[in-house]
Amino acid sequence: MSAPHPQVSSTPWAIDIDHVGKVFTLDNGESLVAVDTVDLKIEKGEFVALLGPSGCGKSTILRLVAALEDPTTGRIAIENRDPLSLSRQHRLGVAFQDHALLPWLSVKNNIALPYKVAGRPVDHERIADLLGLVGLKGFENARPSQLSGGMRQRVSIARALILNPDVLLLDEPFGALDAVTRRHMNVELQRIWGEERITSLLVTHSVEEALFLADRVIVMSGRPGRVVKSIAVPFERPRRPEVQRTAEFHSLADELTLALEPEEAAAS
Amino acid sequence: MSQSAQIRRSSGGFFLTLVSRYWGVLAVLLAWQAWVSISGVNAIVMPHPIDVLLNIVQNPGSYWQNGSQTLLLAAGGLVMGMALGTLIAVVAWTSRVLSGILIPLGLIFSSVPVVALIPVLARLLGYDVRTVLAIVVIISFFPAFVFTSAGLRALPPGSEDLFQVLGASKWRRFVHLVMPSAVPNWMIALRLAAPPAVLSAMVAEFLMGSSGLGYMFRAAATDFDTAQAFGTSVVATAISVLCFTAATLAETRVNQKWK
Ligand SMILES: Nc1ncnc2c1ncn2[C@@H]1O[C@H](COP(=O)(O)OP(=O)(O)OP(=O)(O)O)[C@@H](O)[C@H]1O
Ligand SMILES: [Mg+2]
Repeated sequence: MSAPHPQVSSTPWAIDIDHVGKVFTLDNGESLVAVDTVDLKIEKGEFVALLGPSGCGKSTILRLVAALEDPTTGRIAIENRDPLSLSRQHRLGVAFQDHALLPWLSVKNNIALPYKVAGRPVDHERIADLLGLVGLKGFENARPSQLSGGMRQRVSIARALILNPDVLLLDEPFGALDAVTRRHMNVELQRIWGEERITSLLVTHSVEEALFLADRVIVMSGRPGRVVKSIAVPFERPRRPEVQRTAEFHSLADELTLALEPEEAAAS
Repeated sequence: MSQSAQIRRSSGGFFLTLVSRYWGVLAVLLAWQAWVSISGVNAIVMPHPIDVLLNIVQNPGSYWQNGSQTLLLAAGGLVMGMALGTLIAVVAWTSRVLSGILIPLGLIFSSVPVVALIPVLARLLGYDVRTVLAIVVIISFFPAFVFTSAGLRALPPGSEDLFQVLGASKWRRFVHLVMPSAVPNWMIALRLAAPPAVLSAMVAEFLMGSSGLGYMFRAAATDFDTAQAFGTSVVATAISVLCFTAATLAETRVNQKWK
């Protein structure tokens, strides 16, 4: 498949979501506007978090960037190229909302799958490291059916990171975790990310998680999704968990929460 | 509690589970014995269960020889038929056009009564084990083809997206995703195909063979040796149940790992 658009101009962006809209045609013939015009540029090495009400098109945007869907309008470029070429080169890491582990493979072999698919030798040491990072040491040989929902999500994150991707897409990766494990995973992810500075796009429902992890937080409106707010996160890296207790963190969190609930803001 | 009492107890428990599980078989045997004793039918019409048992015990050589031949033919034919069915299912999977031709063709052929094919095949292949083997292969082919075809399309949720995102080539996708996905269905095919494999081997031997359990049954029936004819059926049933049980166990084992 060739790129649907000729490469006219080159941009400095790692991910360029250029006035993208997505319309789904439903089984009954009606069309559903999942994403209105979204314009989002992400720099190389930048971590962007996407907040928004359920059904506003966050997963759809991630799927568009992963070349799993084609935009109805506008275009997406990753490093000035068709997004498909990134996954072809095994440089894309994705942790899906519903983990998508293969039930017949052990935890270890699920994490090793990207090596096999890419035809590269399996680096057992790196697998062991990542298993430790996501707190699953001792579960190497367990099957996905023997794990809790949160553990499966963590396996899927390890799998997304295993090949040192250049672009990382995370769709509510910690949605099934309890608050304590979630905070712990946030700290770990922040640390891994600090070492490798992977261009990342994270979908989350947690304002605190977005603020703690991201360089920039984008808030989307309800369906059809549009960008309603974008704030730069000022905290220095590496970030310590204590940053979440500062006054500045709280005021930013309030600002984002307000942007997420426009009706309540209008009512008060 | 003394040790011997414990053993007596556990062996009693074993006997009880045996009875509770297979009381149906036992009841049939008892009813059979009672019926022959009370009605006094001729032993040529209906032998005593005890005579059948004696016949088996007294001719271990011929039962073993014919039984093992039938079992080998059934097993060999089953393996070949499953392999062929899997292969054709994979070929059909590779192209929409091919599957459009092969799947309806497979369904049409699977409804042909295979017994009717035996004389034709015997004419082609000869009146010997080759024809028996061919019949078993044909019988085992269809479940393998139908179930593997369905299994190759039953991929776990989200896995197709995953493989696209990982940039998998068509071949790697096939090896790491499509083939493993078909395994549970393949095991169903094996379980379903195992008893008919034994049965069809016997039918073919019965109609045109010169050895095997089917032939042994026909020879005994022709000689009015009813005890031996029944003995053959008993051995055939045992082999069939054995194959089914083995396939079911294998299926459970695989499913534990696969699901
Ligand atoms: N393949 C599809 N066909 C039709 N409609 C779809 C499809 N995928 C998504 N949609 C619709 O698009 C809208 C946005 O879906 P999306 O999954 O992107 O939401 P989301 O923001 O990720 O929600 P959540 O936070 O609940 O995960 C929804 O209304 C959904 O019904
Ligand atoms: Mg979603």
